[in-house]
Amino acid sequence: MSVFQGSNPGKYSRALTRVVRAAVPFVIALGLGGIVLLATGHNPLAFYQLLVREAFGGVDRIAATLSAATPLLFTGLATAIAFRAGVFNVGVEGGFVFGGLIAATVALQAGLLAGMVAGALAGVLVSALPGWLKARWNVDEVVTTLMVNFVVAGVTGWLVTTFLQAKGVANSATALIPQGSWLPDLLPPYGLTAGVLVALALVVLYAVWIKHSVLGYELRQTGLNPRFSAAQGIRVGRVIMVSMLISGAIAGLGGAVHALGVVHRFVDGFSPGYGFTGIAVALLGRNSAVGVALGAVLFGALASAGTTAQLFSDIPLDIVDVLSGTVMIFAVVRLWRQR
Amino acid sequence: MSVRLGARGVSRAFGAVRANQGVDVEVRAGTVHAVVGENGAGKTTLMRILYGLDQPDSGTVVIGDRPVRLRGAADGIANGIGLVPQELAMIGSLTLLENLVLGAEPRRGVRIDWARARAEAEELASDVGVELPWTAVADTVSISVRQQTEILRALRRGADVLILDEPTAALAPAQVDDLLRLLRELRDAGRTVVFISHKVDEVLAVADEITVMRGGKVITTRRADAVDRAELIELIVGEHVRTTGFVPSAVIGDEVLTVDGDVALSVRAGEIVGVAGIAGSGQDELVERVVGLRPAGGRITLSGKDITALAVDRRRAAGLGYISGERRAEGLSMDASLADNAIAGTHRAIGRRGWLAPSKVRRYAKRVLDSYSVRYGRLTAAARTLSGGNQQRVVIGRELDRAPALLVAAGPTRGVDVLGMAYIHDQLRALRDNGSGVLLVSEQLDELLELSDRIVVLHGGRVAGELPGGPESRTAVGALMLGRKAS
Repeated sequence: MSVFQGSNPGKYSRALTRVVRAAVPFVIALGLGGIVLLATGHNPLAFYQLLVREAFGGVDRIAATLSAATPLLFTGLATAIAFRAGVFNVGVEGGFVFGGLIAATVALQAGLLAGMVAGALAGVLVSALPGWLKARWNVDEVVTTLMVNFVVAGVTGWLVTTFLQAKGVANSATALIPQGSWLPDLLPPYGLTAGVLVALALVVLYAVWIKHSVLGYELRQTGLNPRFSAAQGIRVGRVIMVSMLISGAIAGLGGAVHALGVVHRFVDGFSPGYGFTGIAVALLGRNSAVGVALGAVLFGALASAGTTAQLFSDIPLDIVDVLSGTVMIFAVVRLWRQR
Repeated sequence: MSVRLGARGVSRAFGAVRANQGVDVEVRAGTVHAVVGENGAGKTTLMRILYGLDQPDSGTVVIGDRPVRLRGAADGIANGIGLVPQELAMIGSLTLLENLVLGAEPRRGVRIDWARARAEAEELASDVGVELPWTAVADTVSISVRQQTEILRALRRGADVLILDEPTAALAPAQVDDLLRLLRELRDAGRTVVFISHKVDEVLAVADEITVMRGGKVITTRRADAVDRAELIELIVGEHVRTTGFVPSAVIGDEVLTVDGDVALSVRAGEIVGVAGIAGSGQDELVERVVGLRPAGGRITLSGKDITALAVDRRRAAGLGYISGERRAEGLSMDASLADNAIAGTHRAIGRRGWLAPSKVRRYAKRVLDSYSVRYGRLTAAARTLSGGNQQRVVIGRELDRAPALLVAAGPTRGVDVLGMAYIHDQLRALRDNGSGVLLVSEQLDELLELSDRIVVLHGGRVAGELPGGPESRTAVGALMLGRKAS
């Protein structure tokens, strides 16, 4: 076509459109949740008010929401980086869990910082093999990263009941980390640790890096069109490998932060699927830094409000799961043709 | 019934783009009617509307002198209209016969009656005077054969009006002649043909009437014998086009590229070497080997340096430029911004200590796009928002701005209109005159003859022969392309 196509709205209205579009899955979820609530004889508005109050009504509730959002910031970011390179990495859960175990073990001996570094390295280890298989042989990463999750679950479960199990503890858990090696609390007595600052710093770093670094440029191009990238001299395999290693490092660091800040040890069942919720966070946030931050806070709010909301109403906790699930489903659906 | 198929006041807009504006066309029964115009003139939109694939915003389609409403392709077929699209929609793993009957198989009980299918196929083919290898798998036959199958497929469904969208784009000259003969055959048998093209010579050779479109409007409809070549080009473009013609290189220097192996050739500084051949004769392999996208068997040198083992980025650093034949898949990243497209391959040189300064990126991209007259809105707009010709200018600009010692240009004017083509040809000549070597691969023989100092003809993955450039080589190159000896 010889005519310049499409309209040319201003910068701000385009940004606004993006925000509105990103919010739509959430609005649909609220609508569907409302129907479920009405059908079970509850007042949706009252319940949603309660949720908002429990998630953001006061310093204690905001701290709880941010605390719940922290692991999701890590897993969401780890997922987003791989997605940006066109790698559908669903192995962040494995990196998170393995990072948690290694961090908890190392911190027992060598302290906080060593634990964090070891956790990140453990995450790298988990993502290295699938990354290499994808980069070198184009082995489907969805299959390999999914399998790695099972391997990690098995290995950590076994380690924590054998070599690494704490003496005198009946369930599968490592020894409690001495308080000196915990991540410091930000707002005592609320359980918000410095981990959230680490996560937010990474989000900011990601925002700048993906947009303005040479490697970030190559990563974006590889994700958008690998054939184009290869033809212009970008080493696609190397970029994929790097994206997987960074993704793994962030996942492992997330596990470390969770172990050293919240649980203070590693226990079997350490992660209630943070890695998988991270996929929803990345999809909802369209792999952007701001999107990931908002997505993580949203799911964090649902989690923190859900647990306390049932204290004040007779509505079962399951309705919150319905809401989260619906948001996840509609986050994946492409509601607009992306042009 | 004089008007078999037509449009009355048809308008169709896509967003801000008015693809058709008040279009009036009358295709008389038993004629070959050509619709010509540049890219974006609205030809394809009009054909989709005439076939029922798209509906006009206003105006109406006319069939057999009566206004009708076509709600879909099924309505078009029911009215005896058949469309042979530009991108042939065949299933590559099936045989020609299977493709022919697909969706309307003759049956005996629940089973397909292959004997009857074969008989029908033979009858159709002999009616229009072609012979087809019915049991061959579609992927293994030439585009020309697939196209003929597609035409017969439309006839089998009862079409007596055939719409062909740019049917000659990927054919060798001899195949074009075959196709034009087939179209005349169809007309003489009483059928009606609508032939879309932007190649003036073919249109003049085959059409009875010619409708010229420009900017979504019909400019004029003429009898083919009442218009000459120059006049038709001016009608299409809307202004006088200066064509350079064949200008051989003045100074030829040392070899900048040598390739060993099945296809052995060399390109010298200040020389355009054309590579001719019907589609699939080994051009893609050659290009990918030289660029570094395919592991090479033989030795390849660039400016005297052995680059056989080097990756793409190293080859580019050593002075290689590459215009991909597949603009949408490989030449550009359609969803990436214009700036990101413009700096691709140069981004490492633009970066400092691993970072790309936004102002530097903007400056570089703007300079490249401006100096190659790309018409664009914002640098942040996605490449797909540009028209095809403008997109190709982005590619040309990105590759030529680096002043490569060797440019590999694969189909550099594919899908580009007359004016854009002249511009690109001038740019390639200018690059050559500045002392670069150009390896030009094209499926358009005219382009090769006009630009090349030498033409290497490929056939069956090997070099069939080499000829000098210029219009005199036409027949000899055409013969070599089909594997015959040059006389």
